[in-house]
Amino acid sequence: MPRAANAVDFWRGFALVTIFINHIPAIWYERLTYKNLSFSDSAELFVFLAGWSLRHVVGRPEDPLPLRQLVFRLGGRAMTLYVAHMAIVMIAIAMLALSARVFENPLLLEWHNAAAVFSNPADTHIGLAILSHQLGYFDILPLYVVLMLVAPGIAVLHRRAPNWLLPLSLLLYLVTLIFKLTIPTWPTEGQWFFNPLAWQLIFVLGFTMSRERGPGAWVKSNIDRIRLIAIPVVVVAAVMVWLRIWPDPTKMPEPKLLFIAGKTFVTPIRLIQFLALVAAFSAAFPLIQRYMPKLVDSLAMMGRNSLYVFCAGSLLSLLGQILRFHFEGNFVVDTLIVGVGIALLIAIAWLAEWRDRLKKGAV
Amino acid sequence: MGHAMRCSMSIAAMLVCFFGSAPAQSQPSVAPIPKECAASADGALSSVPLPNVANALKERKKLKILAIGGTSASLRGPVSGGHYAIVERFLEQTFKGLDVEIVHRGVSGELAVDAAERIKYEVALSDADLVLWQLGTADALARVPIDDFKSSVSDTILWLKARNIDVILVGVRYARVLARDPKYQEIRKTLQDIAKERNVLRVTRYEAEEALTKVRQNREMEMVEITEAGYGCIAEFIARAIVAGLFVKERPPGAVAPQIPVPAPAPKN
Repeated sequence: MPRAANAVDFWRGFALVTIFINHIPAIWYERLTYKNLSFSDSAELFVFLAGWSLRHVVGRPEDPLPLRQLVFRLGGRAMTLYVAHMAIVMIAIAMLALSARVFENPLLLEWHNAAAVFSNPADTHIGLAILSHQLGYFDILPLYVVLMLVAPGIAVLHRRAPNWLLPLSLLLYLVTLIFKLTIPTWPTEGQWFFNPLAWQLIFVLGFTMSRERGPGAWVKSNIDRIRLIAIPVVVVAAVMVWLRIWPDPTKMPEPKLLFIAGKTFVTPIRLIQFLALVAAFSAAFPLIQRYMPKLVDSLAMMGRNSLYVFCAGSLLSLLGQILRFHFEGNFVVDTLIVGVGIALLIAIAWLAEWRDRLKKGAV
Repeated sequence: MGHAMRCSMSIAAMLVCFFGSAPAQSQPSVAPIPKECAASADGALSSVPLPNVANALKERKKLKILAIGGTSASLRGPVSGGHYAIVERFLEQTFKGLDVEIVHRGVSGELAVDAAERIKYEVALSDADLVLWQLGTADALARVPIDDFKSSVSDTILWLKARNIDVILVGVRYARVLARDPKYQEIRKTLQDIAKERNVLRVTRYEAEEALTKVRQNREMEMVEITEAGYGCIAEFIARAIVAGLFVKERPPGAVAPQIPVPAPAPKN
């Protein structure tokens, strides 16, 4: 039997559905996602919960997984993510090529950074394999792969010197922002859209907050007081985003990245607002479960099977974009895309669990 | 006289005669448009003043260009350093001692509304004098409502101008099938209108690529090769538009931008 619905699986499912919708740009339902009232969006939530889930692999402090086993498990997980990423990228390229053929529109070959795949295939296939070339909207998994590759280091450091993990992660984050360190892309010129040197902090925060000792324990025991600060932060940010009140980034002092809102470096403004959002809404799960149990079950099921759902969601988002282009996107088309898409994501999660039950002989 | 040479002389003559009085810099001699681009140059080049680029040239001998938007002009194809390297090399060769730095921050498929937010952030980080904004194609493919597109682009141009940053819009791409797509054409037309209203320089990529496609089809080239050639030619046009923009006087808003004249294609032997 799969584990019962819990807050982490529920919010992860919620993040997956939000990512699916947000990855169909200009779709009508995009205006209903929480990014319209928040500096941060579902990407932060997804990475934070990925860090939180690391605790299942690392094990409890009183019953830790042997070190060698831990490293192999995390390395294996990174490999699984990498293979999944490569598979969906190849399918996405084929989808763009097929659409270009069917609609006789060569511009579809260039959509979302695919141009180099067709114009410079030798270099670009190397770039795809080493993750230095990423398709638009297919750039979260490469970040996740990198984070999982360093996860053994995170887990070992946490085991050997638990008080050093968060300060070291914060130090790397600050150095990255102060010196504008980036990871370059190749063969196209640019930088990783999600800078792993900065985003690692969200992952580490997710992991440390999940723990029963150290900062995680302190936050859990003081969560009510933290919410008193968090709720006004969330409200003020929502008003600012809604009314488009932005401080002029060109007027900010150096180092500017510490004071402006940017996604690539998940700058402090986004980070603080995101943590406030987590603190404020961490109390909401029991309430939602009480009044909307079916919704909670569905989202938690998606959250439990997040890799399948994420991969399927990425491809369905691209299909949604192609369909919107062909049918000239309107409310009816958008409703069908979102409705059928979410139904398929639920079906994929259900199938994954049904297959597991079959393996265990429970069906 | 070679076709490319006549193009070169034509642009140089235009710089001297067409725009009348120029800023303090001495007018440079301009390298010829490569002959493979000449046929698609007609209508692709318009000239609008770039006062902040002129200031950067005069005061610092250093020009920072932020390349942003939704298409992959930073491909590293046959041209070393990507197609924008053509712009960089052209400007450095045209203005001796000038240091040009191009910051690549394009995100393929990014809509104008998202780029509009990111431009502010990237401009703050890069201290750019000029923004090269490739836009419209991703919005047209994503079927973005025209009003949303228009307000995002217009507001961002105003924001940039208020901070003494010049902008060049690089318009939508060409594909034969999209000539019959009313929504695609609407985005194209909106971009033309915005450029006119806000008096900003627009490189008419659609027309240039359309001409290039017709020429290249006669030679049975693959679409990918046409695309590559298109990017190269657009970079050539952008480079010349920047040079031309340094020698243009301000004109009233709404007035039609003068076209950089390009001679008729050379007769075939």
